[in-house]
Amino acid sequence: MKGHYRIIIANAKVRYDFTIRRNITIIKGNSATGKTTLVEMIREYYEAGSGSGITLKADRPCRVLAGRDWKILLSAIHQTIIFIDEENAFLPTNEFAESVRQSDNYYVIISREGLPNLPYSTEEIYGIRESGKYGSLKQVYNEFYHIYGKPNAARTIKAENIIVEDSNSGFEFFKELPQKGNYPVISAGGKSNIFRMLMNMDPRNTLVIADGAAFGPEMDRIMKLIQQRPEITLYLPESFEWLILESGILSDKNLDAIMETPERFIESSQFFSWERFFSNLLITLTKDTFLKYSKHRLNKAYLQKDISAKIINQITGIEF
Amino acid sequence: MLNIFYGDMPQAIYNPVIFFKNTYTDEWIVDNLSRAMIQDVDRSTVLGPRVIDSPVLGGISPVELSGGVKTLIAIYKMPELVFNASACGDNCAKWLLKIGSLQNVTINLRHLMDFGNEPFKIKILNANQIVHNMTELLPIAGMIVR
Repeated sequence: MKGHYRIIIANAKVRYDFTIRRNITIIKGNSATGKTTLVEMIREYYEAGSGSGITLKADRPCRVLAGRDWKILLSAIHQTIIFIDEENAFLPTNEFAESVRQSDNYYVIISREGLPNLPYSTEEIYGIRESGKYGSLKQVYNEFYHIYGKPNAARTIKAENIIVEDSNSGFEFFKELPQKGNYPVISAGGKSNIFRMLMNMDPRNTLVIADGAAFGPEMDRIMKLIQQRPEITLYLPESFEWLILESGILSDKNLDAIMETPERFIESSQFFSWERFFSNLLITLTKDTFLKYSKHRLNKAYLQKDISAKIINQITGIEF
Repeated sequence: MLNIFYGDMPQAIYNPVIFFKNTYTDEWIVDNLSRAMIQDVDRSTVLGPRVIDSPVLGGISPVELSGGVKTLIAIYKMPELVFNASACGDNCAKWLLKIGSLQNVTINLRHLMDFGNEPFKIKILNANQIVHNMTELLPIAGMIVR
């Protein structure tokens, strides 16, 4: 499934109006904000249609997945927006993550658990914004040019210490960046190691660079740590490959349109998260060129001063 | 005291909402602490054991309370059992501390609930350690859950 979908659902008492943009959307937040009411209304409309007294406007069918037979049900559901409430014990399982990876549905999941098996975006974590009888979704984590922790237009962050999620090309780029000052750049060897590394580091200005497209499961604990240690800043582009694609060093007639609204081009059954799409796109666009990209080892052409400058110029608000 | 086991806990009741639906009694609802929790978390007023006035939904039954407040009441009324308290949002945290100040309870958390800026006393069972604020809690719990 591709694209973004606006969903408006209402009964005589409450009305929800929101848009989803990716295969996985997470809703969390305080109790009594209407999360379960939303799922109940989706379920009742699916069962009884307009006879339920509920109105639903959406360009795709919406339904609820629940219970022990979830896998059998899911195998028969396609091109659908699926809502799952938090009481379902299958949510944190590998089996469920594998089913999501292979399916062509979008998922709206209500859960406060991190669900580390699902690569969801930091931008698709929402709470319900209530205003009397009206509910919409608000992003939980506020960003400023993909920077989290110090969302302030007037301040430039000066890196004194960088942790990069990745251990391959992205890490090599920031480590060998010609414009870089004399400070350490360390690979975390995966996003799940970042919290532990931060806990064990000196409390100086630390910049964490990770793939925002799949960093959602880590956000809660890292942002709680940043509340206690404000010298830590997160920079979360969609991915390192997204940064290159955004930099303008490549020319392709479709690239601007893709970068403008990626959801129109990313088929969820092919790409579990957007970072994989951007990697695939960069590899395809640079094939047989001097910028031939490999995720495993950085092509040194990306370290040429003019090219690397264009890439890091995309990073607003951080001084390298 | 409030005792917390973080992470997967097979013996915990994963779905406290279903448990509440099938076990609650009239007395659970009209109890003074239950009334206060319902008023604070759900902004709803208990009119009687079977009727609650919700500002959004109108007159509702106890089954229609939020998952968070139903979990709080189950923890309070059945302290010998362990419930998955990740069904509770951060607006339930002060009530978990309150229940823990009245009786010895153990809850299971699968996420990092924010217990606020005031000092507290919580025993983290995974580490067999008592913590007194979020600065002490986070390094232990953050290594176990996200």
